[in-house]
Amino acid sequence: MFREAPHFDVRDYLRKEMMPHFLCPGCGHGMALRALLWALHELKIDRDKLAVVSGIGCAGRLSAYIDANTFHTTHGRPLAYATGLALARPDLHVVVITGDGDCLAIGGNHLIHACRRNLKLTCLMLNNEIYGMTGGQVSPTTSETRLTTTTPHGNTEPNFDACALAIAAGAGFVGREVTRHVPKMKELIKHGLQHPGFAFIEVLSDCTEVYGRKNDMGSSSEMVMRQKSEMRPSAYRDSVDEPFRSTDLPTGVLARNARPEYGAALRAAAAARAAK
Amino acid sequence: MNAIDRSHAKPAAKLLSGNAACAQGALDAGCTFFAGYPITPSSEIAERLSVLLPKAGGVFIQMEDEIAAMAAVVGASMGGVKALTATSGPGFSLKQENIGYAAGAEIPCVVVNVMRGGPSTGMPTRPSQADIYQTRYGSHGDYPIIVLAPASAREIYDETIRAFDLAEICRTPVILLYDQVIAQSSETVALGGRAPVHATRKWASGPRESYKPYAADADGVPPMPRPGDGYRTHTTGLTHSESGFPSQDPETVTRNLGRLYAKLDHFRDLIDSYEAVRCEDAEVVIVAIGISARAARRAVDACRAEGHKVGLFRPITLWPFPEIALREATQHAKAILVPELNIGQLRLEIERQLRDRRVEGLHLISGEPITPAQIAAAATKLATEV
Amino acid sequence: MPKSRIELRFGGTGGQGLVLSAKLLADALALEGRHVAQSQTYEPTSRGGFCNADLVVAAGEVDYPLPVAFDHLVLLDKIAVKPSWPRLKDGALVIADSRLCPELPDGSMRRCHFPLNRTAIELGSERVTNIVALGVLIEMTGLCKRASVEKVIRASSPRGFLDLNMDALAAGYDLAKAPVAAAAS
Repeated sequence: MFREAPHFDVRDYLRKEMMPHFLCPGCGHGMALRALLWALHELKIDRDKLAVVSGIGCAGRLSAYIDANTFHTTHGRPLAYATGLALARPDLHVVVITGDGDCLAIGGNHLIHACRRNLKLTCLMLNNEIYGMTGGQVSPTTSETRLTTTTPHGNTEPNFDACALAIAAGAGFVGREVTRHVPKMKELIKHGLQHPGFAFIEVLSDCTEVYGRKNDMGSSSEMVMRQKSEMRPSAYRDSVDEPFRSTDLPTGVLARNARPEYGAALRAAAAARAAK
Repeated sequence: MNAIDRSHAKPAAKLLSGNAACAQGALDAGCTFFAGYPITPSSEIAERLSVLLPKAGGVFIQMEDEIAAMAAVVGASMGGVKALTATSGPGFSLKQENIGYAAGAEIPCVVVNVMRGGPSTGMPTRPSQADIYQTRYGSHGDYPIIVLAPASAREIYDETIRAFDLAEICRTPVILLYDQVIAQSSETVALGGRAPVHATRKWASGPRESYKPYAADADGVPPMPRPGDGYRTHTTGLTHSESGFPSQDPETVTRNLGRLYAKLDHFRDLIDSYEAVRCEDAEVVIVAIGISARAARRAVDACRAEGHKVGLFRPITLWPFPEIALREATQHAKAILVPELNIGQLRLEIERQLRDRRVEGLHLISGEPITPAQIAAAATKLATEV
Repeated sequence: MPKSRIELRFGGTGGQGLVLSAKLLADALALEGRHVAQSQTYEPTSRGGFCNADLVVAAGEVDYPLPVAFDHLVLLDKIAVKPSWPRLKDGALVIADSRLCPELPDGSMRRCHFPLNRTAIELGSERVTNIVALGVLIEMTGLCKRASVEKVIRASSPRGFLDLNMDALAAGYDLAKAPVAAAAS
């Protein structure tokens, strides 16, 4: 189960001129990137026809590493850029890579409307609970009481459950996985890539250098091992005085609904009107 | 036969608002993508294109906000299509970051800004000309941009087509700037007199291995890679090298930004456009755009009828400012009058261009257009003083 | 040969169809090969507030598209009197609704009252007050041929409104034959 398909070599999909990459030692984003590339490989998606659109932040930098048509756009807006790109070029396979700050804070409006609209896009949100690139400020998914450079006395804001948000906004496919389970991540991303509409996938990733260090969360391997037990209490379910209780945030496919795909519906409506 | 008689022989003229002329111009220029967000007084462009574009095989989408509309337009253009968005004051402010992205990453696109009274929500249904500097300097950082300022429905049609041509040729965002009066007034327009130039984008071709997406041709414009053609390049708003990948190498950064300015300089003959009316012997030259220029045109005739040597210089391309033509048009002028619907914006540029001349402004910020009589009075006063 | 430049206004409140009247007239004039510029000033609400729909008609290209001084003024609400009155030419024609704009200032204008609104209500819909007014204006001024405006209305009326619009226009023609001089206020 953990053996990769024999002909998958992640190096085939990376841009050598961009190596070494800039991710910190222990960062979970590399595992998420590997899972994405593995999924693309197994689905035999033509990289000439693959467009990867990313925003700003650590997650946003990943697009540059992928040997495809890649677009590193502005902070919070990759879904809006991708909407234009996918509508203009329905022949392309468009994947969005974003982070928790990019997708849920500055770009939150675009997320809920992308979910509602249901244009075929695969949105991969890497949630490390922190603004890592700018030095570790609080994000919309930072757990309560956590220390960040802008919550020096502990975070007092409740955090978002991004998948619940996506489901509520009408996303056709919603799933969550942790970087600890790379093959499962790959499988989940494959499902998302094959979904005929908007797919939202949250990957719980670790920021070891900034978030982990600031909160004494141990080494990267310790953080990864704890992903399914101690981390990420939901403020909506846990009391603030018990923030680190095991919560078992559900992973896997959380929602899958067949809804009309936006681009196809738009083209069908135009064709019907032209035929009149 | 004079112009009036000729136009009489053209019953095909139709009543067209400025905004409708813009929509038609976009369609005729080959635009196949529009993303927008409702805002007065530009919404008619979106409304009309929501009918026209799907019929022509294009895409119309109303996005969730102004920022998303701008981003979607840049995204569509990155996919290889001609794309347009239209907005006004507050919406134009919101679009600025992604306009800067388009300038930096060299993504062609056209943005319409219909000027209404500001600041903030201001006067949504009243004309203004107070976005002159925002169109030029609205986004952060150094970047060049093209701004066209048509003054009639007919000219909006022509300039919309030219905006797409210039965007494609120079790989740059182009702003189409006009005021609420020009936007929402309807005028009889006979379309079809001008054969539209259909500039097509310079696409990357040749070997993929050695291809560098930001290696420019001699004209300063790099051929653009089209997704799907196999070039698999990277596009970023970070400063980048010819390879397209991020770079903060001082020499690379300096050279690349310098090239953005140089490429517009290269195409100045194509970019520059203006109208000079009776400037040859003018002692007072009025410099104006949009509805103020239309009023000034009447004022010139009124002043001439009284024996005053008054002319009108109307920049149709606002940025880069046609400074050589301005100097030529004002060579005999002892004074310059700048009537505009703001507290003094175009006047600043004219003062900067003509430092040795007397430059007076006529500024109205009441939400009403300046009348021909007001301009004629100011021009007459100047003509008798100098 | 028509006058070189004619300026007119439909003045009233938002929602009265003033812009529509101006556009119909403008289209009719364009059909006849005239050059027209049609503009409006309004408040940022779809209904209520003042609304003025202006027309500049010229034999040649219109240099300045906004009106400077009106030859004709149609008033469907008293709200439009104040901003429009100072801009009337000497001897201008003023067509006002008897009920919605009962009082008109003095002046050298030709001031006429008509039951435009009441006529529309009697025809079945207050919403065609603007078309009744258009009929009166065309009949009194001869700005364009009846056939031109009728052609434009036929081409642009929504289904179910065509008969009503044509009736309203005809009622306007009839009203124009018996103008009631407005009493000085």
